[in-house]
Amino acid sequence: MSVGFWEILALLLLVGTGLAVVRLQNAVHAALALIANFLVVAGVYVALEARFVAMIQIIVYAGAIVVLFLFVIMLLSAASANVGQDLLPRLPWVAGLGAAGLAAVLVYALTRFQPPANAPALGGGLPQALGPLLYDPEKWLYALLVVGFLLLVATVAAVVLIEPERIISATSHPAHPRQDQKPTPPMTEQKDGKAVVKR
Amino acid sequence: MQENFLLPLIIALPLLGFVLLGLFGKRFGEPAAGWLASLLVLGSFLLGLFLLLQGGAKWTLAEWLPGIPFSLNLDNLSGVMLMVVAGVGFLIHVWAIGYMHGDPGYSRFFSYFNLFIAAMLVLVLGDSLPVVFIGWEGVGLASYLLIGFWYQERVNADSARKAFIVNRIGDLGFLLAMGLLWSMFGTLSISELVEKVEAGGYSFTTLTLAGFFLLIGAIGKSAQVPLMVWLPDAMAGPTPVSALIHAATMVTAGVYLLVRHAFILHGDGFLAGLIVAIGLLTAFYGALCSLGQWDIKRIVAYTTLSQLGFMFVAVGVGAYWVAIFHIVTHAFFKALMFMTSGSVIHALGGEQDVRQMGGMQKYLPATHLHGLVAAFASGGLVPLAGFWSKDAILAYSFEFGPWLWALMLLASVLAALYSIRWYVLVFWGDYRGKAHPHESPAVMLWPNHILMGGALGVGFIGLPYVIDYKNFIEPFLTKAIGDFPHEKLPVVTEWVLIIISAVVAIAALWWGFRFFQQKMPAWYERFQTAALQGFYADAVYNALLVNPAKGLAELLFGGDRGLLSGFASLGSLMGGLGALLARLETGALRFYLAGLLLALVLLVGWGVLR
Amino acid sequence: MIWLIASALLFSIGAYGALTRRTAILMFLSIELMLNAAALSLISFSRLSGSLDAQVVVLFIIAIAAAEVAVGLGLIVAIFRRRETTSVDELRQLRG
Repeated sequence: MSVGFWEILALLLLVGTGLAVVRLQNAVHAALALIANFLVVAGVYVALEARFVAMIQIIVYAGAIVVLFLFVIMLLSAASANVGQDLLPRLPWVAGLGAAGLAAVLVYALTRFQPPANAPALGGGLPQALGPLLYDPEKWLYALLVVGFLLLVATVAAVVLIEPERIISATSHPAHPRQDQKPTPPMTEQKDGKAVVKR
Repeated sequence: MQENFLLPLIIALPLLGFVLLGLFGKRFGEPAAGWLASLLVLGSFLLGLFLLLQGGAKWTLAEWLPGIPFSLNLDNLSGVMLMVVAGVGFLIHVWAIGYMHGDPGYSRFFSYFNLFIAAMLVLVLGDSLPVVFIGWEGVGLASYLLIGFWYQERVNADSARKAFIVNRIGDLGFLLAMGLLWSMFGTLSISELVEKVEAGGYSFTTLTLAGFFLLIGAIGKSAQVPLMVWLPDAMAGPTPVSALIHAATMVTAGVYLLVRHAFILHGDGFLAGLIVAIGLLTAFYGALCSLGQWDIKRIVAYTTLSQLGFMFVAVGVGAYWVAIFHIVTHAFFKALMFMTSGSVIHALGGEQDVRQMGGMQKYLPATHLHGLVAAFASGGLVPLAGFWSKDAILAYSFEFGPWLWALMLLASVLAALYSIRWYVLVFWGDYRGKAHPHESPAVMLWPNHILMGGALGVGFIGLPYVIDYKNFIEPFLTKAIGDFPHEKLPVVTEWVLIIISAVVAIAALWWGFRFFQQKMPAWYERFQTAALQGFYADAVYNALLVNPAKGLAELLFGGDRGLLSGFASLGSLMGGLGALLARLETGALRFYLAGLLLALVLLVGWGVLR
Repeated sequence: MIWLIASALLFSIGAYGALTRRTAILMFLSIELMLNAAALSLISFSRLSGSLDAQVVVLFIIAIAAAEVAVGLGLIVAIFRRRETTSVDELRQLRG
């Protein structure tokens, strides 16, 4: 695999958008940078003969997941990265050192990988090639079923987590009384819960 | 004598009572718990009587321990003991229903009581020495629990511990005897041991040693000199406990053990002399101490010591059936004596000092009658139970040697004196206390009536041969103990001995009756101060044994404390380290993540670079 | 081989972000970046060793990431409703 112009460009784009994701102070911008990063990765996937995965990457990751993030950011008005007080002001230094060390170790480890000499072609990673693997009972069929069930469970869990009644009962939890507001009777609490959601 | 599955049931009944009352005692309440316990003991008694009338029974559980079966044996000897334990035990149970009335530990008391009966029956019925030992330890445990029954008071708990610790010495003797017998004969079953000892082919010195160890066990359990110190203190328990355990049954277990092993002891001059000496010492020590006591229960406790000494002398002179005969009569009149004392204590609302009693014959007519019979039987008045058994001991002592007979006669004079002293101080003169005496309820009177009948009449099963040529108990018991023939005294000598002993007893009782009503002379007061302390036996033991042991314990404790403080500082070091590590737990999520990242770098780095 | 290096760099950047970001949402974004880096390395390995199995695994990773995001964002919303903050430094009940 030769290292040409496109490869260098893709590498730079990947690292640049990655840094943007972790450094940008506006959460919306960071999420958009993540979409860009995912799109570049999808391009790389095409180059690596994984076209079906590339499509899924664009549709699910860049399309659905990050958009979900954007929705939540807007819902909670949480665009600013600077919230609350920083309890660990010197952590970025540690994090930088740790990340650099991790990168060094990982790069060292991955470059020692010895690929087999004559790797068979992947058929472009098209659905025709992946499909038999996915639905083969001796390969990945059951894992596929389990993952499908996991998605169902996660969906139900997400619905249950943000169910309004639960939130109201949680608001009046005796262990965590809210200090900024006077204790209110249950009827007004309900209004209060809705107000929080709308804000 | 055949295998009979009913035999273990005799033990199981009171054991069932122990379990039921121990677990659900509070539910039964009062007095159902007491009646349940009593009826179970009565069941044991009737079952035992039924089997005994059938000619005895055996029961064996073959594979209990490797080479040692769990075997029970109901022969004539254990049958008689069973009758005493379960019969007298039943009466004391019933009496205790009244005596323990209103006690907060009512059901607990009866569950312990049943445990004691079960353990005592194991001891009596066991045919294999380890089984006997289970019962031996079981009665020790029950005794400990019951002496310390009112454990909230320190002195009671201390007395219980003292009894337990002193008994350990005896238990050690028992264990050593078992080990020795096992190494000699390879069996611990008593019936097999009898055969092997008869067959011969062993060292007589070793057998003497085994007998000596058995004797130590018996001394501990029967509170003989020099291990007698625990018995007077054991009176800290409730009065029914004193009557049942420390008078009628458990303390006679040592005598029973010796009689069971008569085949080992018999014909051994050294052991015989030792047993006689110990018995004689105890008889005199107990009698003299009893004469100086003021606590009504301690008076009776020391008389028990004295009577146990009589039994030991009987064993020593080879009169094994007489020892058992004396156990039987003693069980009746001593239980009666204790329960009469208990009734008086009950009537006076817990008063135990005889100086606060007197004149009880006016207030407690029925109890007075019981006390009179008990004192006369204990003092050896013709023809009450105590006379016949003591007379048999005296007769055998005369065969052993006239000097022993003379000493025993002196001891029986003392016995008459302490019996009548107890009676006079409690029932005669004017009432010296302030409480309002009231007669006991029927549930306490009736057992005493029955015991009184026994104290009057039970002696007639063992009349001397000059009166009744073939009495009931001698051939009955010798069938089980083994027949050790001896030359009977000439008829004239026997009659002379009987008359001397009867006249001396009457004279001593009469003299004591007069003497203890008047003011005590000075010499008696001096004697009394010494006797009150048990002739300083406790002080001597404290100086010789307890205090050196305490010193050693203090020394070792000091060493321990040094070690412990070392460990403590080690512990605080670890604690400091832990506190340091605990500071890592900040609760900040990102701090944890940093740790995760660090660990990742290190682990991957180690995995790659190694 | 260059894509393996790229995935290592992306993973490290994501780790850095997960540590430095103080709001739950942005921390979550960084974790997605790390997840994606892992997927990229798998695709590279798939190409280098000529096996399609790794690509199937990447499909699963994407599916599981979707599930994780659904639950994770639900949690963030629930916590926000209760505490009115997304700052992870203010959530210190994790201490025993």
